[in-house]
Amino acid sequence: MIRRISLKTRVLLVLAAIGLGIGIAAPYLFPKYIVGLISLALIGGLFAQSVDLLAGYVGLVTLGQAGISGAAAYGVGYMASKVGAGFPAQIAVGLLTGILASLLFGLMAMRSNDVYFIMITLAQGMIVWGLSIRLYKVTGAENGLTGIPRPEPVNPYWKYYYLVLVVVVLCWMLLGIIVKSPFGASLKGLRESETRMRMLGYNTTAQKLYVFMLAGFFATIAGILLVYLNGFISPSSVVLAASALGVLEAILGGVGTLVGPMIGAFIIVAIQNIVSIYVDRWPTLMGLIFVVVVLFARRGLVGAISDVWNRRQQEVSLEPQSAQ
Amino acid sequence: MTDIGAEAEFDPMETFAAESRAKRNKTLALSSIPFAVLIWWILTQMSLEAFFSQILNGLSFGAVLFFLASGFTLIFGLMRITNLAHGGFYLVGGYLGITTVRATGSFWLAILVSALSIMVLGLFTERVLLRPIRGLAQPEVLLTIGLTFILGDLALAVWGGDPMPIPKPSWLNGALRVGDFAYPRYRLFVIACAILMGVFLFWIEKKTRWGAMVRAGVDDREMVAALGVNIKAVFTGAFMFGAFLAGFAGVIGGAFLTLLPGQDFEILLFALAVVIIGGLGSLKGAMLGVVIVGLIDSFGKALVPELSFFTLFAPMAIILMVRPQGLLGKLS
Repeated sequence: MIRRISLKTRVLLVLAAIGLGIGIAAPYLFPKYIVGLISLALIGGLFAQSVDLLAGYVGLVTLGQAGISGAAAYGVGYMASKVGAGFPAQIAVGLLTGILASLLFGLMAMRSNDVYFIMITLAQGMIVWGLSIRLYKVTGAENGLTGIPRPEPVNPYWKYYYLVLVVVVLCWMLLGIIVKSPFGASLKGLRESETRMRMLGYNTTAQKLYVFMLAGFFATIAGILLVYLNGFISPSSVVLAASALGVLEAILGGVGTLVGPMIGAFIIVAIQNIVSIYVDRWPTLMGLIFVVVVLFARRGLVGAISDVWNRRQQEVSLEPQSAQ
Repeated sequence: MTDIGAEAEFDPMETFAAESRAKRNKTLALSSIPFAVLIWWILTQMSLEAFFSQILNGLSFGAVLFFLASGFTLIFGLMRITNLAHGGFYLVGGYLGITTVRATGSFWLAILVSALSIMVLGLFTERVLLRPIRGLAQPEVLLTIGLTFILGDLALAVWGGDPMPIPKPSWLNGALRVGDFAYPRYRLFVIACAILMGVFLFWIEKKTRWGAMVRAGVDDREMVAALGVNIKAVFTGAFMFGAFLAGFAGVIGGAFLTLLPGQDFEILLFALAVVIIGGLGSLKGAMLGVVIVGLIDSFGKALVPELSFFTLFAPMAIILMVRPQGLLGKLS
């Protein structure tokens, strides 16, 4: 017997199929520049998803995530441009620095909550930025590290695009599994009431460390993908604005969902590239979007759409049954 | 008879108190060893004059941080609002000071104009932007960070990206000499300002009606409101006062730290380190915090310039592990 699939699931499946179809066909449909932007948006989306794993599912907003992805990117960059090591060593060191940073930061932040968590992560991200501009022997200071080539098999832009697409979709699926798992459910419990979770016997401090490291792992992947996309890494990738952008993307798309941050990232990349043609006051615009979204649209695009959808469904079910 | 008997009796409370006192003394003695080693090591690295200069450098930077951190901590203690726009207030306050000095030539007028303008900005922030999301801690923080981006970028648009010092009054230029030891007068003036401000704030907090309302508001907002105090007015007043102090700090600090785009977030990092280390919501904590952070920063910059921000990291990490509420903070 075939299980009946709800209308909502069907719509979502069709949308997912269309999205994936466009994603696969993109290099044939768009010029090089646009494909580069899509790669950027996909990586930004993964980064925003890692922020949302903390912000949306556990209720811990982080303003230092770019510190972790930046640590990974600098790990890759250092091995590539200062040591001249091969790709396996570059990626291994990148993963190591990213995961080490998230372990260290997680240990620092795991006992805090709410506003304290925001302040601590902000300070952590700023400290990585401080190192990136001062520790010039390792990071190249303001100039950053340049000349980081892509691995040969994925060197042309369209091949690298496919690599990004595959990695991001895999991470997305992994995140989906994590969120749906019992562990994911306990994270939502943590968001609703940490005291109750502790009373139920959960070690909430350890849980926060685990989820911080998981989020850090996905940020690490995003950081490594980004450094090979750009071919360089500089302090501008680890500034507070980079971390804040991840939060903004997550809220704009819809916090507490995985598709929301991805949509948010595409919107932000689009705005950035369209607006920069006319004005160069991007930070002002970003700040304004922040203020407007926080004041009027805290549930984001996905939240707004699902509100409209639910209201329509209610109206349908309230219609007189005699019509059938 | 009974007196003698009572004296001979074993008093568990007294023994307990004595034991815990002994334990605390032991902990203090043990924890002072690494500090002694650290100071000895620092003295092997630099001359005694340089050592004292670095202490004064740290204290004068800490003095600037005090103006910021005391307002930050007051706003948090009363309203639970984490105002990350404090760094932006500082930077814009400093730039307004430059413009005023250039127009009128008066440093003191610049302090007044900046502090009052930023106070009005604070009024706008609290009444218009933050009022609709009152009580939602995380949206409040995100809004203030958005505001900082706007302020920083508009400052860049108006005043440009070149570093700017604020011209000081002539009698504060130059160095004060005591024997062989010379130290910039202005920095000593800043330290004196901060000490005066600290005394003034303590007096307000402990001795005035306003301070009583603020202290009561920190402990129990609902109760204070029920007693007929217009708590909303107290909130707005506190927010404006915090902003006033940030604008004040912008001019005072801008005159020796020079103003640069991006400094809004840098100074914010230091202010956050102060409240994380000292304890959020406590004036004494802010005082302790600015001394610690100021000294760490100045010695860090002198000894290991490449790690200058990183030197804040270790003390913050240790305190967060051992005492997450900060040295003098209360557990919420």
